[in-house]
Amino acid sequence: MFPRFIQVVQHLKNLERSILLSLFGHPPKELALAVSVNQQPKPTPKPFSIHDLIGDGFLLAVPKFRRTVEKRLNRKFGWPEYVWKPFVPKTNLKTCHECGHHHEQGRLCGNCYKNIGKETKEIQGEILKKLGNGPIEQDVIVLYEGETLPDQQKEFWNGKRIVEMKKERPQWFSKNLLQKSTQQPSKSTDVKPTDLA
Amino acid sequence: MFNPFKNIFVSNLKYNQCNNFHTNSLHLAWTKATAPKSFIQNNKKIYPPQQIDEPTRPAFVCHQKTNIKYSPDKLWYVACLIRGMTVDEALKQLSFVNKKGALFVKEAVLEAQEMAIKDHNVEFKSNLWVAESFSGKGMVFKGIRRHARGRLGEVRYKYSHYFVRLEEGKPPTDYYKRKPLLPSNQLQDWLEQMRRRKITNSY
Repeated sequence: MFPRFIQVVQHLKNLERSILLSLFGHPPKELALAVSVNQQPKPTPKPFSIHDLIGDGFLLAVPKFRRTVEKRLNRKFGWPEYVWKPFVPKTNLKTCHECGHHHEQGRLCGNCYKNIGKETKEIQGEILKKLGNGPIEQDVIVLYEGETLPDQQKEFWNGKRIVEMKKERPQWFSKNLLQKSTQQPSKSTDVKPTDLA
Repeated sequence: MFNPFKNIFVSNLKYNQCNNFHTNSLHLAWTKATAPKSFIQNNKKIYPPQQIDEPTRPAFVCHQKTNIKYSPDKLWYVACLIRGMTVDEALKQLSFVNKKGALFVKEAVLEAQEMAIKDHNVEFKSNLWVAESFSGKGMVFKGIRRHARGRLGEVRYKYSHYFVRLEEGKPPTDYYKRKPLLPSNQLQDWLEQMRRRKITNSY
């Protein structure tokens, strides 16, 4: 509201000045001030430069300030409480009892797993040779060298195919994979235990 | 850009030995060898015989792996990990570092271990520790990629060198001087932290 009022006053002043000028002309030169007041400097014509045209276009993505050593170190090392960039040695590495290689605690030993994978591939190869690639309709019993069939009734052998491997059974491959390790072995003598490892 | 003709000259330049010096091009005489050699020269240094009262100078072996296709900055982190560790511990830790550089460092350490036994008079291969382990910049080939608005960018295909020095004997107790607190001091620290807590707007 106030600025508007001032604007109106300014307009009135200008109007008064223009009316007086038209009626009486300029005031006499004797009343003029000897000192010039509020003189604007004359604008010198600027020489043309390409900088005006393009500006900082070519140098837009350029560092403005030098990176301090603190910033550099933060980027290189991170911060201990949040993100620590250097590697920290792992303390959860255990030695496998079977093969002696190292593995992370809570994971399988890589070396043992590789051996199991190799053995599996061999068994699968034998099965393929003997039984072919057909649909799996019957159980397969794998026998290693020097092993006898578990003595069972004739009904047990209905629908079971036997595959013989031409090598000795590996130490880690127990014959009795189906017995639960957490279950206590029974003391009853009614049933004969079948081929325990 | 990758220069396919570079390979022709590399075999001659490997250790700055030019076999057919007078029959090949002059270019070979003034070009730098691509592989660093000053670190390896440490192996050839012959020390004067030691005095009786001097402590035994431990055997050491310097080994390097050059022009690994990996960034030297990234390799530096892997190199820093194994400093001050026994060789067995270093190999164990490197097996579980999920980085491409860890494979090269592991190979280098294994080679150095073998060299120590064969050439540098080290008795037991487990009695070694990593005295120095660092990475350096190798070759850099430059390529071009495109950005938006018709702009072009530079792609740097970086190679690194890796240097390791194994020394015989037991490693120092705290290589990085981390000075971890004893468990009793850790407990004191924690207790003080807990006691420093305050319920806001209380006395």
